[in-house]
Amino acid sequence: MRRLFAPLLAAGLLFSAAAHAEDTLTPLHWQSQGSFGSFDKAAVQRGFLVYQSACASCHSASALHYRDLEALGFSPEQAAGIAASVKLANGAPATLDDTFKPAAVPASAFGGALPPDLSTIESARPHGLDYVYNLLTGYTAAPASVTLLPGRFYNTGYPGQQIAMPQPLKGNDVVYADGTAATLPQEASDVSAFLAWSADPNLDERHEIGVRAVLFLLFLSIIAIATKRKIWRETA
Amino acid sequence: MSTDVKKSWLASRLPCPAKETGNCAPTLERGAPYLARLPALITGAALLLLASGFVLAVYYNPDHGFASIQFIARNVNSGWLIQGFHATGATMLFAAVYLLLFRDIYRRAYTAPGELVWLLRVKLFALLLLVGWLGYALSDGAVAYWSLTDAANAATGLGGAAGVVGRWFFGGPNGAGTLARLEVFHAVLALAVLGTLGAHRCATRALARQAKPKHPVSCHPYYTAQTFAAFAVFALIFAVLMFFAPHYGLNPLNRAAADSLIIPAVLSPPWYLAPVSAVASVFSTTLGSIFGVIAMLAVLAALPWLDRSSPAGKRGLVYRLLMGLLLLDVIGLGWSVSDPACTISGSLTVFFTIWYFFHFLVLTPLVTALEAK
Ligand code: HEC
Repeated sequence: MRRLFAPLLAAGLLFSAAAHAEDTLTPLHWQSQGSFGSFDKAAVQRGFLVYQSACASCHSASALHYRDLEALGFSPEQAAGIAASVKLANGAPATLDDTFKPAAVPASAFGGALPPDLSTIESARPHGLDYVYNLLTGYTAAPASVTLLPGRFYNTGYPGQQIAMPQPLKGNDVVYADGTAATLPQEASDVSAFLAWSADPNLDERHEIGVRAVLFLLFLSIIAIATKRKIWRETA
Repeated sequence: MSTDVKKSWLASRLPCPAKETGNCAPTLERGAPYLARLPALITGAALLLLASGFVLAVYYNPDHGFASIQFIARNVNSGWLIQGFHATGATMLFAAVYLLLFRDIYRRAYTAPGELVWLLRVKLFALLLLVGWLGYALSDGAVAYWSLTDAANAATGLGGAAGVVGRWFFGGPNGAGTLARLEVFHAVLALAVLGTLGAHRCATRALARQAKPKHPVSCHPYYTAQTFAAFAVFALIFAVLMFFAPHYGLNPLNRAAADSLIIPAVLSPPWYLAPVSAVASVFSTTLGSIFGVIAMLAVLAALPWLDRSSPAGKRGLVYRLLMGLLLLDVIGLGWSVSDPACTISGSLTVFFTIWYFFHFLVLTPLVTALEAK
């Protein structure tokens, strides 16, 4: 998987090698956060690369189609190229209108803990962006006082600290085409950004329309109230 | 051929709407506050919900409820916008109805001759709770799924007549086909909401005709200007919520697909169902919960007769103080089922429920009778 996607994306990344990722790690933040946030498409594209190479083998993202990648700045040809490089269960290459290839994990693989579909995971968890980031960077050695259950890993970001998912990211799991150093925090932050987009793909448009709608209605309200006051004053 | 030439073509053939003309004759009292326009805003919000709900219903697939809403939000042109209108519309509609009911209680607007308008408003509220819960169930999210499962299992397990109704409504325990039934009930009861709004409009008109205004003004442009301003501000709040806080008051855990094996940590319903769901949760049996919710609405409906002062009687200080407490009580009810971290929330729910009934059944008759003297 990884070897397949890296060159493809290297060719596809919109944002040239010169434009390194700006530092969003200190302090940790994402451009999509806040009332007026919007997605950092370069980060989301990098996050897609991380998802495809390091998560897709276990986690589905069934709400996404390959054509949706165009919203991240990939051209239709690039998106089609990405789709074509995925072999579906029947052996045929995927097309733009296919949903992301489902991961086939046997139920017994992780002691019964099934990897959840990631399409909306960040809206399903409180503070989803931070949650996923903390989960992916939360693997440490278990303290001596803790006895790990079999098949569990110690993770400070997970409720109960014992998760069935083996550490998926260790740093340098991918090669970023834009030259960004693929450190563990960077990868975790990027894939979190990608999952934020996947959970709420309309955020940019919503905020864009929202600003215009609210400004319009604000002026309309002021004029309407002023008119009403004038009419009420004159109707003595 | 005795056609009344003075009547319009339509009015001579269809006399009902003709009665409504002359609305804007100078018969209204001057100076009503903006909040008196709430019924118009409620009707507006209901119509928006009807229109957006119609579009959603076209795409909704009860066999894959959650996935089909995802499909609407992601793949239908402007689907996310329509879905947003529907979701935020529900929040705005309920906010306006809660405000209307509270304002009526505060102003004692339910006293004669306003009883029928009040009863219709309580009926509207009851219907909206049902429609709102059905819509919540249709969202098919991880939390709504359990609300539906519990309700369906409990209702079908009842004995006697209640069980017959329950089995007819849900068609058995939550499973394949349940959401398809609920989609029909959601839509049909939404039309009943519109019918209630229509009856409510006639009743308020009749009230207005009885009133003898001291300073009469005509509806246009006096009240049309006010209504327009009210709609503009309502739309402004609507837009702020919809575009910048689309999930306000909703349980975030419900934004994941339903899973029949996992019960989410927080099972709180949308904010507008929370106070009712709190009262229902106080009772340990199904019949008890149903009784609790019906009683909650029944005491509201009985208000005109629980209030012992004369219709024109003034609101005293104690009465107004109690209204403040009632407001806090209802907010507390909703909050107590939304915060699982609070360990005493269970006993708080019981306390708030008892206060709710104590307020209406004991304090209201007592205080109004005392203050009427
Ligand atoms: C080897 C398979 C595997 C890979 C690769 C993998 N995961 Fe997981 N993941 C799992 C399993 C299994 C679970 C369920 C854990 C549990 O329930 O204890 C899980 C759970 C999760 C959860 C949900 C935690 C919760 O709150 O329930 C998230 C989020 C997640 N993974 C993200 C990722 C991301 C992001 C990647 C890629 C960087 C990834 N996973 C790669 C197997 C995997």
